Amino acid sequence: MRRLSDAQFAWLLMLPGLALFGAIIAYPLVSALVTGFFEQSLVRPGRLFVGLANFADVLGGDFLPVFRNTMIFTVGATVAPFVLGYALALALNAGIRGSGVLRGLFLFPWVIPGVVVSFLWLWIFNANYGVLNGILGTHFSWLGDPDTAMLAVIVTKTWASFPWMMVMLLAGLQTMPKELHEAASVDGAGTIRRFWSVTVPHMKGIAGIVFLLEFIWNFQHFDTIYVLTGGGPAGATKTFAVAVYDTAFKGFDLGHATALGGLWMLLLLILVAVYLRHEKEDVR
Amino acid sequence: MTVTATPSRTAALVRPVRTRRRPDVVRSRVAAWVAVGVIGLFGLAPIYWLLVTAFTPDEKAFSFPPSLIPTEITLEHFVNLAKNEKLFGYLVNSVVVSLITAVLSVIVSAYMAYAFSKFRYRGRTSLMHLVLASQMFPQALLLITLYALFSATGLLGAYTALILSFTTFTLPLCVWMLKGIFDTVPSSLMEAAAIDGASRWRTLHQVALPLSAPGLVAAGLFAFVRAWNDFIFALTLADPERQTLPPGLVHTYLGEFQTAWPDLMAASFVVSLPVIAAFMFLQRYLVGGLTAGAVKG
Repeated sequence: MRRLSDAQFAWLLMLPGLALFGAIIAYPLVSALVTGFFEQSLVRPGRLFVGLANFADVLGGDFLPVFRNTMIFTVGATVAPFVLGYALALALNAGIRGSGVLRGLFLFPWVIPGVVVSFLWLWIFNANYGVLNGILGTHFSWLGDPDTAMLAVIVTKTWASFPWMMVMLLAGLQTMPKELHEAASVDGAGTIRRFWSVTVPHMKGIAGIVFLLEFIWNFQHFDTIYVLTGGGPAGATKTFAVAVYDTAFKGFDLGHATALGGLWMLLLLILVAVYLRHEKEDVR
Repeated sequence: MTVTATPSRTAALVRPVRTRRRPDVVRSRVAAWVAVGVIGLFGLAPIYWLLVTAFTPDEKAFSFPPSLIPTEITLEHFVNLAKNEKLFGYLVNSVVVSLITAVLSVIVSAYMAYAFSKFRYRGRTSLMHLVLASQMFPQALLLITLYALFSATGLLGAYTALILSFTTFTLPLCVWMLKGIFDTVPSSLMEAAAIDGASRWRTLHQVALPLSAPGLVAAGLFAFVRAWNDFIFALTLADPERQTLPPGLVHTYLGEFQTAWPDLMAASFVVSLPVIAAFMFLQRYLVGGLTAGAVKG
């Protein structure tokens, strides 16, 4: 057998992985974007080219409210765990006793399966027997009221993701040379001043990446919202993921689902491009 | 440990400054404990509540207001689980799908990571970035045409559809994790093997892979957890009798007239156990992988 060059050998090694990427991600993605231009049903064969009609329908209908919901969810479910995670990381880095054990303990909400997270908060928010209403002495339907449903969903997702923020930011804090803080305090800088002038600049890279990654993940998040509210009540928590899923698998309307999905992808691609640029700069 | 013990070697030189700093340090430590207390309550109270409910008899769990401290403990909900044959079926599906996903992910991602780590060729960097970016495409959108694709190829409803999808989705992180590990295997070892007459395949299988064993286990565990936790793909691509626990639990408990919450909390507890066990082991790999050796230990 002829001996392969290094490059050929490398491509051979990558072949199974590339085949999977092609079949499970690239082909479906391209095919989905094409489907946006057709009228096509999930349950009937055949399709009809309709040009931009699906996009026009979607833009005039679902797009704006769904975009609004997605942004509210994404911003809320990214900022809140970021703040909690950062505060906790700073606290655990302040040299308090048992911070290693605490760090492990705080990981639990992030570690348990997403569906379990949803079950647990469904039970906590339960209108008749829920512990939240028990403490407040009310019988409020947190997930059933359009005014509070999104807040409840954001609280749930915040709970599930702040530990990841905490771990990543804590790792960043631990790489900060102690001498920086000591030098600053010798120069008379107080805790708050040192936080803004020493900690924040040092953490800029890692904080930017975890924030951006969480933002991208939330922008396409499905599980928690779907199990908690299914997009309701009255569409109050209907984000892109839920809307695309429901249009395809409950309405069987592939054309409109993929048209909406295409617009969603476009927005996501912008985010991913920002992430990759950030990542490159960080690697350098 | 006392507060005065913390300032380091420089303390002796700057004694007056240190004395002025003491209330400052005390204050920030108090603030730290307050933060840990408040966020800790938010973080751990729900888990406490899951456990309490799972062990509380039905008539107590469905009383209002609920008592925050359990007065009576029962195992009846776990007995109910063990007697439920449908749940056992979902459990078997979860184990089969997750195990095969783990093994397949390790094999595919190890080869790919090795190619990324030890060879230089055109397109390598762009491909690496593409792999990284691919985990960010919206899965709800992919699902639509994957459904059609699996339907056309007759794989829809079977384990294969789930396993192929999960394996692909674990690749980005597994490849990056393993690339980092192969990078730490000195190339001189491989050159030595080559001089001894070993082929590239043998060098890979008998030098690089054994040296990376802990990393391979970590990647496998990660893939296992990913498959174990997935909801949307298992819900959509698998037949009802092939579904894993997450959609299985939704079918079993939600949408009924009255949800058996204590039973569901007991089931949630059981479903979480293998994942918690895996993460205890994975913790340092995940953090380490993403912050690239910045953390000690």
